[in-house]
Amino acid sequence: MKRSLLLLIAVLISFVSLQRANAAALDEMSLKQYAKLREVERYQMKIADKYYHERNYKVAMAEYEKFLTLYERSIGAPYAQLRWSICLVHQRKLNTAIKEGFQSVVDYWPESNEAIAADYYIAKTYKDMGEVRKAKKTYQSVLDDHPKHLAAVYTCSDLIEIAKVQKDSDLLVKMWKQLTFETPRNRESKSLCQRASYELASYQFYQAALKEGLEALKTTYSEEQLAYYVLYYSRRPISTMAADSKTKAKAEKFADECIAYIRSVTPKNTSEEEDELIALNNGYYIGDIHIAAGRDTKVVPYYQEMMKQFGERDTIRDKIATYFKSKNKYDEARAQYRQYKNKVEGNSQIAYSYRQQKNYDPAVLAYRQNVVLDPDQAVHWNSTIATTYREASKYKEAVAVYEELYKTDSKNAEKWIWQIATTYRDAGEHKQAIAYYRQSNNFPSNYSEMAACHRRLKEYKEAIILYNQIIGGAPKSAAWALYEVARTQEAAGNKEKAILTFQQVCKRFPKDSYASRAHAHLQNTYKITVTLGGAKDE
Amino acid sequence: MHELGNTIRRDRFVQITCGYVVLWTFAVFNWLWFRVLPDWLLWIIFLPAIPLVVIWVSKEFPHSLKQFQWNIRSATTASVAFLPAWQLAVFISDQLSLYAVGAYAARIGTGAAFMIGLAWVVWGMEQASQHYDLLRLRKRRSDAHLSLELNSDEDDASGERIWNPLDTRAWYYGRKGRKLNQSVTGLMSYSFVFCMAFLIFSKISGCQELYEMPAGGGEQKPIAQKVKVQKVIKKKFIVNPFSAILFQVPPIDEVKLQLTEITKHAYTVGYGEGTGAGFAGGTKRGKVRFIRLEYTGGDWDQDFGVGADLNMLIEYNVRTQQQVADRTESRTVAQLNNFPKGKSPPVVYLTGQKNISLSKGEVKILKEYLLEKHGMLFGDNGGSRHFHNQFLAMMNRVLPQVRPVAIPLDDTIHRIPYQIPFLPYVAPHGGKEALGWKVDGRWVAYYHPGDIGDAWTDDHSGISPEIWEACYQLGTNVIFYGHTEYSKWLEAQKKK
Repeated sequence: MKRSLLLLIAVLISFVSLQRANAAALDEMSLKQYAKLREVERYQMKIADKYYHERNYKVAMAEYEKFLTLYERSIGAPYAQLRWSICLVHQRKLNTAIKEGFQSVVDYWPESNEAIAADYYIAKTYKDMGEVRKAKKTYQSVLDDHPKHLAAVYTCSDLIEIAKVQKDSDLLVKMWKQLTFETPRNRESKSLCQRASYELASYQFYQAALKEGLEALKTTYSEEQLAYYVLYYSRRPISTMAADSKTKAKAEKFADECIAYIRSVTPKNTSEEEDELIALNNGYYIGDIHIAAGRDTKVVPYYQEMMKQFGERDTIRDKIATYFKSKNKYDEARAQYRQYKNKVEGNSQIAYSYRQQKNYDPAVLAYRQNVVLDPDQAVHWNSTIATTYREASKYKEAVAVYEELYKTDSKNAEKWIWQIATTYRDAGEHKQAIAYYRQSNNFPSNYSEMAACHRRLKEYKEAIILYNQIIGGAPKSAAWALYEVARTQEAAGNKEKAILTFQQVCKRFPKDSYASRAHAHLQNTYKITVTLGGAKDE
Repeated sequence: MHELGNTIRRDRFVQITCGYVVLWTFAVFNWLWFRVLPDWLLWIIFLPAIPLVVIWVSKEFPHSLKQFQWNIRSATTASVAFLPAWQLAVFISDQLSLYAVGAYAARIGTGAAFMIGLAWVVWGMEQASQHYDLLRLRKRRSDAHLSLELNSDEDDASGERIWNPLDTRAWYYGRKGRKLNQSVTGLMSYSFVFCMAFLIFSKISGCQELYEMPAGGGEQKPIAQKVKVQKVIKKKFIVNPFSAILFQVPPIDEVKLQLTEITKHAYTVGYGEGTGAGFAGGTKRGKVRFIRLEYTGGDWDQDFGVGADLNMLIEYNVRTQQQVADRTESRTVAQLNNFPKGKSPPVVYLTGQKNISLSKGEVKILKEYLLEKHGMLFGDNGGSRHFHNQFLAMMNRVLPQVRPVAIPLDDTIHRIPYQIPFLPYVAPHGGKEALGWKVDGRWVAYYHPGDIGDAWTDDHSGISPEIWEACYQLGTNVIFYGHTEYSKWLEAQKKK
């Protein structure tokens, strides 16, 4: 569980960093080149770069232009021209960027490193303009002319994107293979190559080609990691194929191959603790593959077999219980949890399973047992009890628990006040909720909650006062607060004031999404076409 | 003698009515689908329906309603009279550009037509079932049965299986509640047939329709500002240098230059080598038309007609000097099929703020229109983030292998004929960037995220003149782009 969570986080981080990093290294000047700049040139370049990094592209562009005018023959000129062009791209003047920017780099400094980057940027800009055919042609020339350059790596990555949209599996596999097997991995290319390798593996697994998929995975993961990643990337293809009667047999065969592979890398001798752990984990992976293949009759006996081999373990019981829960067999699952060696964890799981079934009283009982069994974590268990009460709509009991926590856990007093207020709000006791929200320092959330409570109590004036305080004190929430003022006026029956306020939202915050809502509301509800507002996006 | 004269007159009147009905039917078909006859002729054909309906109704319905009793003739007259009345209401609303009224009239009329039809179905079934019961009774009497009562068990015992649905004794109506079962079956069947007919008529492709661009030519260039220089020569005094009076002589030729900056088309807005503003592939009778696309699921008719679309069309005419249609129009997605390749609308406009629901067939037609017929879709978000997602989802179905991209501000569509270095919008319903779908170097769809249609309304939604002016300019650019690309394509087709 933890491992898959870690992997998910890693994938997310790599994906986000990929999005940001893609092509970023190409627009940087090398240290070697920078060292050759004269002091005056460096000074001007620093100014331009500062604005560039601040995303003030208009000013940055002017500064790069200044550099080019002053130091036309400088070694930094192609770099300045490249950056100037990228500034244009950020200002959404893509055609000008290609014609007057990137193309100039290629024409005037054809031997420079920036010319290769400019070639790539021309292709990328074409792609961003929707000129896919031109983009593909230019990408191809980058690949042909500079196969070892970093630009080629980014080119492959962009071509993968295009191939995915066009469902061009030949190009897709070709690019994946190029990145996975042929591209040297360095700081800039590593993440793209890794991504390509597991996308290729996933694709191969969907074709039930274990060997090819494994080859791709081997370029990224170590031998010890492979068993897990075989499971990770094969699980979905197996379950997808198993769900279709036409591909069921294929799924069975592929699942068996995966299991055979995992068994082959599992240590036979488990006398060493490390080997035993590997064998145990690999055992879990095999169990997961059985589940993915829909082999219901095999799952429980398999885990029982594991139990015989590795002895009674909570983790194995957890696997069995999770399987039972997936089949809606909660009593059988709880029978497993009851046999946990770690009673606290067992009780927690039992309680959670009851909550999943919306059976709250036994859940609370189980948590209460944990308060006694695990006094160090009493705050956590009591907080969970309160949450369970809230789920069960037993607000009075929940408040009592939170109040107790407020007294005993003064370090988190703010948190408990908020929870008490929210519980009162959910219970419909708005006056009590307001009293507690008032004690909170969580501005502007507490003010917005208080205003909402006042609105439910039909105390519209008070709500409007609070919203106005948000407008004054929290500029980021001002558009929302003004919109809420309008809605409050509307609820209070002050139609004219409501209309005026909706128009104010459009006029004062024409670029905000609340202007859009106010505009639509005025038109749909009041049939008012003069909504004010209007803006331009430069 | 007097009676004979009446009969002759009545016969003649019936003949006139029959002739008119044929003409009317033809005109209705033309109005709905063919669109061959001009509007003035349609007025001439449809308007006589009023006196005819009045005469027929006044004949059947006496002045005093107390004396009135429904009979088959009066009911038939009322039912038939409803059709031209309904059609006329929709036609007149349409002609007077009262589109909302027309839409209501069409909807209410459909409901009324359903109810009238239902009444006839109920009456017909009742008559038929009575008829069959009577036949059975007569048969039984002739067979000298003693009992006059209709015993169901006896009927069943006769061993004959009745299949006729108009007969309540049909076997599938069961033994209990036969009348109710027959009524329910009748209602269901009628509703089904009505719905099917409605669907067929509303989705019917109809016959061919033509879109012709205005003939002419011009250049695809940005509108340039022309500086007009006007020489203002100050009044000069003619002074006799030999005069005894001493004058202060002013400079001999003091000329003041007055520079008047005016915006004027430095060239003709259009495409091709013809004369006058227009397009090479156009015809003399051709006009730029503003066609809005009708779709199910949402409010396609938001700000439709006089208020916004027509303003845009008029502005287009003023700004480009190209011939434009007198009125804006709407077509269903299915009707796009009626336009042949080479004579289809270069641009159609789609707006709304709710759902866009297209059938598989409609998706196919739209795809064919955009790719095969070289059309262009001008989408405008009329008021919600939801519509933004709906539009994107629709385009994903129509062009699954093309992804939308943000249209650059220096793209042709944002530069010609007007240079618009920013995106103007009324409210940012779907973001602040115009999206486009490009196929083979041509924008096949332009999506404006911020209610450009609202800026074209009479009150411009209260936004600043700078913004609504830019919105008109953008509208002009998009329409012009669509027509220019279409013209280029037509020329390329000719060369092939």
